[in-house]
Amino acid sequence: MEAGRTVRNLGVVGVGNMETKRELRVGFDVGGTFTDGVLMCGREVLAKAKSLTTPDVTGGIVEALEAVMTKSGANPAEVAMVSLGTTHTTNALIERRNLNQVGIFRLGAPATTAIPPLTGWPESLKEAIGGHELVHIIRGGSEYDGRDIVPLDKKAIEDACKSMKGKVDSVSITGVFSPIINDHEEQSAEIVRNVLGEDIPITLSHRIATISLLERENSTILNASVITVMRRAVNSLKAAVRKRGIDAPLFIVQNDGSVMSADYAIDYPIFTVASGPAASVRGSVYLSGIEDGVVVDIGGTSTDVAYIVKGFPRESSITVNIGGVKTNIRCPDLLSIALGGGTIVKHKDDDVIELGPESVGYNLVRLGKSFGGPLLTVHDTAVALGKLQQKLDVFKTDYVTHPEKINAVPKALIKNAWVAIKTTIEEVIDKMKTTPEPVPAIFIGGGALVVPREKIIGVSEVLMPDHFEVGGAVGTTIAEIGAYAEGVVDLDIEDRAEAIVEVTERAKDNAEAAGAIRNTVEVIDVEEIPFTYMPGKREKIRIRVKGQVL
Amino acid sequence: MGVREILRKWGVTDFQVIDKKALSEITLGASILATGGGGDPEIGLLWAYNVVDQGKEILLIDPEAMPDEALAAIAGCLGAALVLTEKPPNGQELFWCYDSLRRYMGKSIEAVVPPEAGGVNTPVPMAVAGAVGIPVIDADGMGRAFPELQMTSFYIHGVSPSPTAAADEKGHVTICDASDALLTERIIRNAAMAYGGISWIAGYPMTGRQLKDTAILRSISMAWDLGKRVFNARRKHLDPIAEAINLTGGYRAFQGKIVDIDREFGAEKTKGFSLGRITVEGTDDFKGRTVVVDFQNEWLNLEIDGEVRCMPPDLICILDPATGEPIRTDIVRYGYRGTVLLIPAHERMRTERGIATFGPRYFGYDRDYIPVERLMESTSG
Repeated sequence: MEAGRTVRNLGVVGVGNMETKRELRVGFDVGGTFTDGVLMCGREVLAKAKSLTTPDVTGGIVEALEAVMTKSGANPAEVAMVSLGTTHTTNALIERRNLNQVGIFRLGAPATTAIPPLTGWPESLKEAIGGHELVHIIRGGSEYDGRDIVPLDKKAIEDACKSMKGKVDSVSITGVFSPIINDHEEQSAEIVRNVLGEDIPITLSHRIATISLLERENSTILNASVITVMRRAVNSLKAAVRKRGIDAPLFIVQNDGSVMSADYAIDYPIFTVASGPAASVRGSVYLSGIEDGVVVDIGGTSTDVAYIVKGFPRESSITVNIGGVKTNIRCPDLLSIALGGGTIVKHKDDDVIELGPESVGYNLVRLGKSFGGPLLTVHDTAVALGKLQQKLDVFKTDYVTHPEKINAVPKALIKNAWVAIKTTIEEVIDKMKTTPEPVPAIFIGGGALVVPREKIIGVSEVLMPDHFEVGGAVGTTIAEIGAYAEGVVDLDIEDRAEAIVEVTERAKDNAEAAGAIRNTVEVIDVEEIPFTYMPGKREKIRIRVKGQVL
Repeated sequence: MGVREILRKWGVTDFQVIDKKALSEITLGASILATGGGGDPEIGLLWAYNVVDQGKEILLIDPEAMPDEALAAIAGCLGAALVLTEKPPNGQELFWCYDSLRRYMGKSIEAVVPPEAGGVNTPVPMAVAGAVGIPVIDADGMGRAFPELQMTSFYIHGVSPSPTAAADEKGHVTICDASDALLTERIIRNAAMAYGGISWIAGYPMTGRQLKDTAILRSISMAWDLGKRVFNARRKHLDPIAEAINLTGGYRAFQGKIVDIDREFGAEKTKGFSLGRITVEGTDDFKGRTVVVDFQNEWLNLEIDGEVRCMPPDLICILDPATGEPIRTDIVRYGYRGTVLLIPAHERMRTERGIATFGPRYFGYDRDYIPVERLMESTSG
């Protein structure tokens, strides 16, 4: 296709046609400890289940899916949509665990070297992805007008790849001005594939974000670092759904709370990095009816906090912090901390040294003291204080099987741990608030039962709505549908405003085709990238929209 | 000679040591006052941190402490805002400029004065001073940021930008020594375009006496104070905009969501600036109203519902309502929420020659300059 005078459609986040009789939706929220599943008809919860997240992820999803299908007696053919939110990527980043070793290329020398890649990153995160040893600033990159800064040093890329062999799981490539001209990134990717093999996941920065080198590079590296974690989750979902005979489109919750097709999410996990918390916010607002306040989603491994204004998470400011790293990825203002029911209470005698960041995760029933294990966790603290009285029906195991182990923990240690947990929650809520006045807090997630809920500083009241323990899973099923459209336009010939309207209409068509209600579809992003190296005034217009499904 | 020896020679005992915390506070304040330009504070700060990490001292002194006959110069970046954000420096460019200028003039430059308030153009010159071993003067040439070389209080009060040296990342240096400041601007601007969109520059050599007579004095202290207040507001969940107004005497003119960014793409390579216009739809108390802001690297001219409410050189600052973080012309995106803060320009910028050099007519608006105080007071009530 030649660059035409009319606006062309370059991309669609599409899904199959929806049939009206298929009204059921299945939603999963895969956390570090538990996998929650719900079966919804419209906005009604027909069945809910919790299973332990398994190391392969699939096992937990299969079990939760089986439970909700069996409990409800639903016909798999009636399932219209399956959606997933997960904190796996966030957890990997905040716990510095399961991250890929990332080969990092920047194409930009002799410019840009004053601020090398990974500058300003937390030390522990740098180390967790392989550190400076895997960073290479290569001579290359482009000028704004399309000239090379210098010709791409292909030999240097080849040599760097050879030195990385066997040491990297994934590669990130960021070239100066690649959003405008991506030749050097594409050429580099080819060299990387030649040396490191076709299977190595490569993230190219021009597919991730727009102009602003340092933030785009950070986003690209983060994407490369969680690509394996996300692939596993998506592939698990696919396998589990197929096994149960469900033939419905699969969606992943994105950072903005809308869903994207699962196949797209595989390569771009950075856009779903806040997937779990984004789903929790939607679920909490729906279940509680509270539209202004804080949402605190406490899982087994982490707690996510969002500040909601008029039913939506507050949009974060200009630079977005993910895992302590500045990025330019659009993301609601969310804060995740490594505190959950399974978080290990590190202590010396009766004094608490640190809460986490490690969690026993799905090994709670093996390693936690309540279950006869050796480690004291947040869960065990609540058990010791008598905060857990009855088992929720979504949990398979009882909350304590070895009370004698709990009774043996010194009372002073329990008290100190409880205070430390309360303080940690208060601090994270305080960080998210924008007013000094107390606000209502919605506590959801399986871990909501095992943390302090009384007299929380900064909070006017703590609410735990019905189905709070599966709030995130509910949120995935009522998420909006995201879609986009792109077009190339020559502003010497066409009117810019008209071109934007035209691309917007096509983005709305795509959202509608994916199941969104047309008149609820709204524009969430308009991006224009100039082809400054071409004659005339050509540019690419990319418009993202989202709309409600129900 | 190191910075401490220079201060000893001048008999200066009163100075402030600028550490990383101070740099972060000054840079935040300066980037707010930069009216949408002045460069990415991420680049400026990380660059400056490197210098501090190398054990170099950045010492800030009051303008009055500088001897009348000693020589100061500016250091910074000139060109298209978008290019700087995408192509950060290698860090040597300004040293090449400084060396070339020193050799060309045959005189040593004993102090650095930042050219303007900005995320890059305030911390980077401070860091250059630290690296070279000379003091930074608590002043700048605008009290805001402006796109062109001659748009300074230095120039309008009689200091020439020449000679100015301009370097790129490959070590190419252009020195322009022209009596006509507008010609100097054109030559340096063309060097920037030839370099790919930006020049790193050192120039405006001036004596201590000239600096005291022409600069916006103690503007770094002002930016520092502003930065401290905004950080404090964030910590205490106070309104950062109110803090900024308390300090600067500005106006909270609008609050809204950015719904269109119409960039004149290509201006970076043909004119050497980032040019365009944004449209902001009102929210909260401003629902139903619309703001249009034109930019040329910096926010220049603001209209509310078709009525002009701020003209250059008065300051248009668009800030994130929750954090006070400035929204810059190079990174502004659809959907950003901003509060518009309008601040009267410094009196040294509002002279007749100032208005001729950077008032509305210079930027192509067919209207006389009216101070923002009058424009805003006519709307209240």
